[in-house]
Amino acid sequence: MNCGYGEKLILTLYGEAGESLKAEVEAHLAGCPVCRAEVAALRAAGSNLSARSEEPSPRAEANIMRAARAAVAGRRGFSFKWGEALLSGALASAMAFMFAFSGRGASTDLAWNSGLDERLDSVEYSVYQAQSDFNAPSRDWEYGYSELEDESFNAGKNV
Amino acid sequence: MSEELTDPELVSAFKAGDAEALGLLMERHKAAVFGYLLRLTGRRDAAEDLFQEVFLKLVKNPGAYNEREKFKAWLFTVARNAAMDLFRREGSRSEISLDGEGDKPGPADFLASAEPGPAEAFYGKALGERIGAALDSLSEDQREVFYLRHYSELSFKEIAEMLKVPIGTVLARMSRAAAQLRKKLTADLQ
Repeated sequence: MNCGYGEKLILTLYGEAGESLKAEVEAHLAGCPVCRAEVAALRAAGSNLSARSEEPSPRAEANIMRAARAAVAGRRGFSFKWGEALLSGALASAMAFMFAFSGRGASTDLAWNSGLDERLDSVEYSVYQAQSDFNAPSRDWEYGYSELEDESFNAGKNV
Repeated sequence: MSEELTDPELVSAFKAGDAEALGLLMERHKAAVFGYLLRLTGRRDAAEDLFQEVFLKLVKNPGAYNEREKFKAWLFTVARNAAMDLFRREGSRSEISLDGEGDKPGPADFLASAEPGPAEAFYGKALGERIGAALDSLSEDQREVFYLRHYSELSFKEIAEMLKVPIGTVLARMSRAAAQLRKKLTADLQ
């Protein structure tokens, strides 16, 4: 028997009917044993499914959580490296920016007024001094050696 | 981590690096998803594998879920697709019986209450088996809609969107499922 209330009955039973439809279906149910039997059958099937709450094994859940922790740890490592790279890039850009736009420009005054020339002179003088110092002991030794030779010669003459 | 957070908030927390947020999500939905998969496949080992596949999809690619979607709809769509893939790999879905195969228990064996007394065990198991057989007698389409509605608690409109069919089709399948269950169970319920 098809009373035509099948879909309306479903919407009402599962709480998706509006108030007017719900009232209409409830009125229909009072006089329709077939629809009442269908409601009873659906409720019985639903109750039986709900009666036993099946759950996955702890092993399955542990596998998922292990993978979740590993994935999170992997993502953390990845983002940290990205952070380092971004920081390095930002610092390099900042330095390049400061160098390029420091306001001095490429003027020849820079070399004259910077004291760079004096410092270079100073370096050159230091190099010269170092060379002198390096050569000085050698001259002293040669000088001392010739003195020894003279003394030896004079001593020989006295004997 | 508060258990009051919504599903999308928990997914966001997981995306931000909180692994325990995924644990809370799993705790919240595991019975429904696993029950659905167990009914669909009829085998505990297959349901366990698919259950892991569903949540590992979120673990491996959390961006697959968009927080604007309803999480339960996404979750059951993934679960259903995973089950469909399994059925395609294994052959016809109709080969799987809710009563189990050989010595293996089927979902009908899980229907009785947890620890019933002797009489309840007899009548409960008998009724459970009848209900299992009645559900088994539904067509695949009817059973799919019935299980989706029962376990996901999604609206018929959301189920229609998931299955990509008009809502009228979903309601018609449910209505025919109700008629079939009535025919099979009338004697037991009177």
